[in-house]
Amino acid sequence: MHEASIVLSLLDTLTNRCREEGYSSIESVRIKIGMASGIMPEAIVFAFEAAKQDTIARDAELFIEMVPVGGSCSDCRNDFEVSEAYVVNCPLCGSHSFKIQKGYELDIVEMEVNE
Amino acid sequence: MKVKVVTRILEANDRIAEENMRRFREAGVYVVNLMGAPGAGKTTLLERTILGLKGSLRIGVIEGDIAGTDDAERINNTGVPVVQINTGGACHLDANMISEVLPDLPLSELDILVIENVGNLVCPAEFRVGEDVKVMLLSVTEGHDKPLKYPLMFRESSVMILNKIDLLKHLDVDMNKIKRDALSLNPSMKIFEVSGKTGEGIDRWTEWLKGQRSQ
Repeated sequence: MHEASIVLSLLDTLTNRCREEGYSSIESVRIKIGMASGIMPEAIVFAFEAAKQDTIARDAELFIEMVPVGGSCSDCRNDFEVSEAYVVNCPLCGSHSFKIQKGYELDIVEMEVNE
Repeated sequence: MKVKVVTRILEANDRIAEENMRRFREAGVYVVNLMGAPGAGKTTLLERTILGLKGSLRIGVIEGDIAGTDDAERINNTGVPVVQINTGGACHLDANMISEVLPDLPLSELDILVIENVGNLVCPAEFRVGEDVKVMLLSVTEGHDKPLKYPLMFRESSVMILNKIDLLKHLDVDMNKIKRDALSLNPSMKIFEVSGKTGEGIDRWTEWLKGQRSQ
């Protein structure tokens, strides 16, 4: 539901960066979304298509890389990755002592621009 | 030409949140972002909290709702300064909405500012508003499956207040499972059990708040 606000913030950051560096338009944008971030990629694409129209990203294509939830276990000392949005114990040994290292991303990676 | 832009998508929001935080620090006010589902009892908890802190801490409130001023009127009746934000459809408060209403609050005369977010267990978790602490309220009537269904909120919140414990005897809810699952998502989470209706447990929460304020 909050994907529209997220897209507006994304466009704001990119537009500012282009103004600072003197780029005239954006051709593509690459972002990372963690599977545990609660963000629906379809809704991001939909909002991006609508919100980009009056900006220098109007011709930009959006690429989304989904990042699975993963972490490392302090007991069995292995790294793991899961398909769910949350982890309650290490999928390898069942331990509750683990650290989540990825899956909450909401990051901009790069954009392709014209000078 | 490819340009690396390594930053959070919500950087624009985060920047305003940091500016809000700077203003809060300057005024010496401790800020609570209170989140929870519609009907969890956020406003009732707030009324109890205000009552419990009366005479010891000066509290102010920002009420976030999609529409209406019912909550702000209830807080206004307790005699503390309150500002209502109507988001007009948005499912959460963001840093900019908070920034815009700050001039309407006597910040330097407050010890604690509570920002009651829009009732929603999903979206508010994502947006920093410049708070010192994220507190989530979950009523036991919502069921023990909530931590694993809405993991982000439980992971982001430093404090969980379990409300409506006076109803436990009528419910088939396993409160220990709620606590267990919440702690597995967020091992350092501080948990309080209260009843907004009877006032049970509210004192432990207000004592904790006082402790935070004086740190």
